[in-house]
Amino acid sequence: MRHLLALALMSASTIAIAARDARFDYQMECQGCHAADGGGTVASVPSLKDHVGKFLDVPGGREFLAQVPGAAQAPLDDTALAQVLNFILREIGHADGFAPYTADEVARLRRTPLTNVAATRAALVREIEQRSSAPQPPIVGRQR
Amino acid sequence: MKSRFDAFFKQRARELARFTSRRGFLSALGTTLLGIGAMPLLPIARAAMSKPGEPDASTPQGDDTACEYWRYCALDGFIAACCGGDAHTCPPGTEMSPVAWVGTCRNPADGKNYVVSYNDCCGKTFCQQCFCNRNEGDRPVYYASKSNDVNWCMGRAGIVYNSTVSIVIGVEP
Repeated sequence: MRHLLALALMSASTIAIAARDARFDYQMECQGCHAADGGGTVASVPSLKDHVGKFLDVPGGREFLAQVPGAAQAPLDDTALAQVLNFILREIGHADGFAPYTADEVARLRRTPLTNVAATRAALVREIEQRSSAPQPPIVGRQR
Repeated sequence: MKSRFDAFFKQRARELARFTSRRGFLSALGTTLLGIGAMPLLPIARAAMSKPGEPDASTPQGDDTACEYWRYCALDGFIAACCGGDAHTCPPGTEMSPVAWVGTCRNPADGKNYVVSYNDCCGKTFCQQCFCNRNEGDRPVYYASKSNDVNWCMGRAGIVYNSTVSIVIGVEP
């Protein structure tokens, strides 16, 4: 029982360290363009805030988030990239109930580059909009 | 009864006077008071007082108009503090670029690496004061998100570059 408790405590602290490092990696590798709150920039940098998780609801969306150049080409190893993606979905996208990215999944996805990022993204956004009857927040850019 | 009471305290007072030194007491009191006063100077106490992501306000941080200022470790451009702004505020009449490149700088005052966002101030012509070109952590332009040679005013209505601020946005874990 004591061993179990120690193990639980160690796991909790490992998760806490991973979360802290993911925030640092977000600041270092993503925040410069996507902004601290994930709001992005009007007409140039897509907003992640509150709705990045919608990509997980459409076919190809989960793959896209790991393949998009900002993610796939970030100078982070597969584990760190998986943690940043999970951090973005959870803390910035406020998505819940999703299966977290793993290092193996990210390793596989990021080695398959997107040949036409804009077209792939546009098709996914159309799919997201078609699936939702409610009015959507803006997918690209931040409203001022 | 009264005389026994008096005798008891007279005896204790004499013993106290015989076995303790007044100078010793004053010295101990002085040390204690000085120690309490010096507590906030200890690094642990200072670290506890500073907010996460912000350098310790009580440590000397240097001159924010000098290129050697610790936050400018990877700056390439005119220092906004010399142009009417300060280390993290753009000069009047300019607009801060919403996109920036981000790196870390070590604050020698507390030995921590802080995450610094280099945002360009845009919309007015070159400030031409305090040109500073430190390139610690700078990457070539083909690695644009980590390059200080990029004009980060790109995408703004006023794309003209004026100067640069260094905003502390976090601390390296």
